[in-house]
Amino acid sequence: MYLAAYAQYWRINFLTMVEYRTNFLLWFGFTIIYHGTAIAALWVTLHQFPSMNGWDFRQMSLLYALWMLGHAVHNTVFFTVADVPTYVREGRFDRFLVRPLDTLFQALTVPQQVWPDELMLAVIFFVAATWFSGVHVDAAYLAYIPLVALGGALIDFGITLVIATCSFWFIRIDTLRWVVMSLEQDFTRYPISIYTRGVRFVLTFILPFAFMNYFPAAYFLHKSESGLSLSPWVGLLTPVIGVMWVLVAYAFWRIGLNHYQGTGS
Amino acid sequence: MNAAAPYLEFARKAFSREATYRVEVFTSVGSFVLRVYLLRSVWTALYAQNAAPAGIPLHAMITYTTVALLMSLVLEVDGTRMIREKVREGTIAVDLMKPISLPLYFFSDGFGQTLWNALLILPSLACALVLVRIDLPSLPALIGFALAFALGYGVNFFLNFLMNAVAFWTLETFAIQLMVRWVSDLLSGQILPLSLFPGALGKVVGALPFASIYSTPLQIYIGQLSGYAVFPALLTQVAWLIAFAAISAAVWQQAQRRVIVQGG
Amino acid sequence: MVVMPIIQTRQLRKVFRSVRRIPGALGAVRTLFSRDYVDRVAVEGMTLSIEEGELVGYIGPNGAGKSTTIKMLTGILVPTSGDATVAGLVPWQQRQRNARNIGVVFGQRSQLYWDLPLIESFELLRAIYGASADRYRQNLDHFTEILEMHEFLNTPVRQLSLGQRMRGDFAAAMLHDPRIVYLDEPTIGLDVVAKEAIRNFVSEVNRERGTTIVLTTHDLSDVERLSRRIVLIDHGSLVYDGTIERLKDQYGTHRTLVVRLAEAYPEVKVDGAEVVGRDGDVVRLRFDRGAFGADQLIRRVTESYCVTDVSIEEPDLESIIRRIYIEGYEPTLTPRAEILPHAVS
Repeated sequence: MYLAAYAQYWRINFLTMVEYRTNFLLWFGFTIIYHGTAIAALWVTLHQFPSMNGWDFRQMSLLYALWMLGHAVHNTVFFTVADVPTYVREGRFDRFLVRPLDTLFQALTVPQQVWPDELMLAVIFFVAATWFSGVHVDAAYLAYIPLVALGGALIDFGITLVIATCSFWFIRIDTLRWVVMSLEQDFTRYPISIYTRGVRFVLTFILPFAFMNYFPAAYFLHKSESGLSLSPWVGLLTPVIGVMWVLVAYAFWRIGLNHYQGTGS
Repeated sequence: MNAAAPYLEFARKAFSREATYRVEVFTSVGSFVLRVYLLRSVWTALYAQNAAPAGIPLHAMITYTTVALLMSLVLEVDGTRMIREKVREGTIAVDLMKPISLPLYFFSDGFGQTLWNALLILPSLACALVLVRIDLPSLPALIGFALAFALGYGVNFFLNFLMNAVAFWTLETFAIQLMVRWVSDLLSGQILPLSLFPGALGKVVGALPFASIYSTPLQIYIGQLSGYAVFPALLTQVAWLIAFAAISAAVWQQAQRRVIVQGG
Repeated sequence: MVVMPIIQTRQLRKVFRSVRRIPGALGAVRTLFSRDYVDRVAVEGMTLSIEEGELVGYIGPNGAGKSTTIKMLTGILVPTSGDATVAGLVPWQQRQRNARNIGVVFGQRSQLYWDLPLIESFELLRAIYGASADRYRQNLDHFTEILEMHEFLNTPVRQLSLGQRMRGDFAAAMLHDPRIVYLDEPTIGLDVVAKEAIRNFVSEVNRERGTTIVLTTHDLSDVERLSRRIVLIDHGSLVYDGTIERLKDQYGTHRTLVVRLAEAYPEVKVDGAEVVGRDGDVVRLRFDRGAFGADQLIRRVTESYCVTDVSIEEPDLESIIRRIYIEGYEPTLTPRAEILPHAVS
C-alpha cells in the first residue's frame, strides 16, 4: 500500500511537470542561478586568493558538489516535509490524521510540483567537479558516492524534520527554516578547518553538516587537517551519521505529534 | 502637506506590523552574528595564506563585508512584494480605485518596514563588534556613504518594483524574482567587493546598475572611492535611479491599462 | 440480538491548556518561561451513541465543542478523559485502523490536489486507502453518475467552481466505502442548486449503502432536510438529543398567526396574543398553542376586525435553537432522561 501510494505520488509529480512546462523551466533556471552564483562567488574569491587552508578552487568545487548532491536528493525526496508548518497553521494537517497511513509518510507525499531538476543539475556538476578536481576515481569512489549523497540527504532531512516538528509548538517557524537553510549552505561551502574549534565541533557532532561534504571530500582528496584530530576514515561515516540523525529527528517528530494530538494547536 | 498624510500612515502601519513579530528579531540578529563570524573566518583564512589584493587590507575587507551585511538588513525589505500577492488574489483592481498612488503606497509600506529593520542594526552591530572590528570612515566619507546609500535604496526599490510588476503578465513570478535577487546579490557587491572580479569582468560588473546598490556606498565607506572620484560615482547612481524610475513608470502605465482592460 | 452502536462515547471530556500570556514587550519573553496555565473546557461529559445507518445532525454555536468532538472521534485529538469506540475501535489509539472505516469532508478545507485533474486526486486516494481496483472503479462510476462529474473529471481542481469542487470532495471521502462519514459544514458557501445536489447525494449514500453519517453544520436547513435525529451541544455539553419533531413539539410552543386586514385599523389588540410585527395591513400575532387553539384565536380576531387572509407560521428549527442558545435549555419542560434515551447517568 505504501509502495503503491508512493508510485502514484511520483506519477503525479511527473504529470504536473509536463503540464507546467514553463514553471518547470523557470524553476530549473532558478536552480541554475542559485548554485551558479554561489559557485561564481567561490571562483572570484579563489581567483584572488588561490588557497584556502590548502584547498584550491578545484578542490572546493568538489566540496560544493558533494554538498549539492546530498542537498538535491533531500530537496527532491524529502522537501515536502518543510511545508508541515503551513499545514499545521492552516489546519490542513488534520487531514493526514484521518487517513490510514503514517503521517510522516503522507507529509512526504503531497504532490506539489516537486521535480528532479536540481538532482539532475547536481549530478552533472558533480561529474564535472570530479573530473576537474583530479580526485582519484576508482570502484570504491563510485560505489561510495551514492551513499554519501543519501547520507547527506538524510542529515539535511533530519534538520528539516526537526524544524518542521517545532511547528507543533510554535506557529511562526518559516523564518527559522530559511535562516537555517541559508546558513547551512554558507557554512558548508568552506573547509571547516577555517572555523574556530567550537564551530568545528558543532558542525561535526551537533549539526553534522560537515559529514555532508567536508569529511568525505577530505578523505578522497587526502586532506588531513580537520583540526579535531579525527582519523581521515570518518569520511566514510556519512551514511551512518545520516541514519542516526534521522532516527533522532523521527523520535522528536513522534513527541511533537503526540503533543499535537493532545492540544490540537 | 496633507497629501503626504496617508503615506505616513502606511509607513507607520508597516512599522508596527513588523514590530509584532518579536521572535523574528532573535532569528534575524542570531543569523546576522553567525554570518559575521563566517565572513571573519573566511577572510582571515584567505589573507593568512595569500597576498592581499591591491587597496583592500584585511581590516578593510572585514569592514566592507560587515557593513554590507548591515545594509542588507535594510535593503532586503521589499514593500512591492504586495503587488504579486494583490495580483494573484485579484484585489489589485480594488486598490486602483482608491484615491492614492499605489507605487507610493508600496514605497511607504516598504519604508515603514525599513525603519523597523533599521532599528535591528543597533543590536546587530553591537553583537558584531564582539567578533570583528569595523573601521570608521572620515566625516566626508560618511556623508558620501549616506548619500550613496540613499540613492542605492531608490535603485533597489525600483528593481524590486519591476520584478514584482512582472506579476501583471505572468503569475509565476517568484522564481524570476529570486533569480534576479541571487544575481543582484553577487553583482551588486553584497557578497564580495566588485574589485575582486578579474580584469574585464570587473569592468563589466562595475558598469551594471546593480553596483549602485551596494558597491558604490561601500567603496566610499572603505575609501576605495574618495575625493573627487566620489562625484562621478554618485552621478552614475542618479542616472540609474532616473532610468529605473522612468522604466517603472512606463511599466506601471501598461500594467494599469492591463488591469482596466481585463477588469482585474 | 443486541446491536452494538457504531459510535459510542462515554463521559468524553476535553480540556485545552495553554500558557497564560503576559502582555507587554517583556511579556513575550516572560511567557516563554512561564508555568502559569489557563484551562478551557471544550467538551464536558459527552455521552452519546449512534446506531449504524443513522444520519445525525450535530449542531451547536461556534465554539460549542462540535469540532473538538469530531476530532476525538476521528482520532485527531486525544481526549482528556472518558472513552469512545467507533466501529469497535478506540480512534486515538488505533488511529490508522479507524481511518479505514471513516470518511471526512471538511467543507472549508478540500482534500483534493489543487494542480491536478480531479481524477488524479481520486487515483492517489485509492492508493492511500489501498482500495481494490474493481470496487474503486464501481464506486467512481456510481458517484460520477449521481454527482454529475463527467464534464469536469479531467479538469484541474483549481479551475473548478466551489460546487464542483465540493462534489469532488464528497466523492473523494466516500470512494473507499467508509462505514461512517463525518461532514463538517459541507454546504458552506454553496448556491441552492449545489446544496440540493449534495443533500441528495448524502441522503442516497445513507439510504442505499447504510453509511452512518454525522453532519455538523450551521445551516439548519441541511439538518431539517436530511436527518431525523439531532444532537444539540452548547458550551461543551450535550443539550438535546432526539428527533427534530419532538424538539419542535416541546420547544415550539408558540405559533404566529399572520392576518391581512381589510381596513386600516389604527391599533390592533387581541386577547391572549401578542402583536409581534406590523407591516401596513399585515399583522403578526404570537400565541401559545397550549393556551388555546388557532381556530379560537381566528374567531377572536374576526369578531373585532375585517380580515381578508390568515395563515399560521410554524416555528422553524432555527428560531427554536436560537432560543435554546439564548435562554438555555429548560429541563423542567421535559424530564431530561426522557429525551436522552441513550444517556447512562
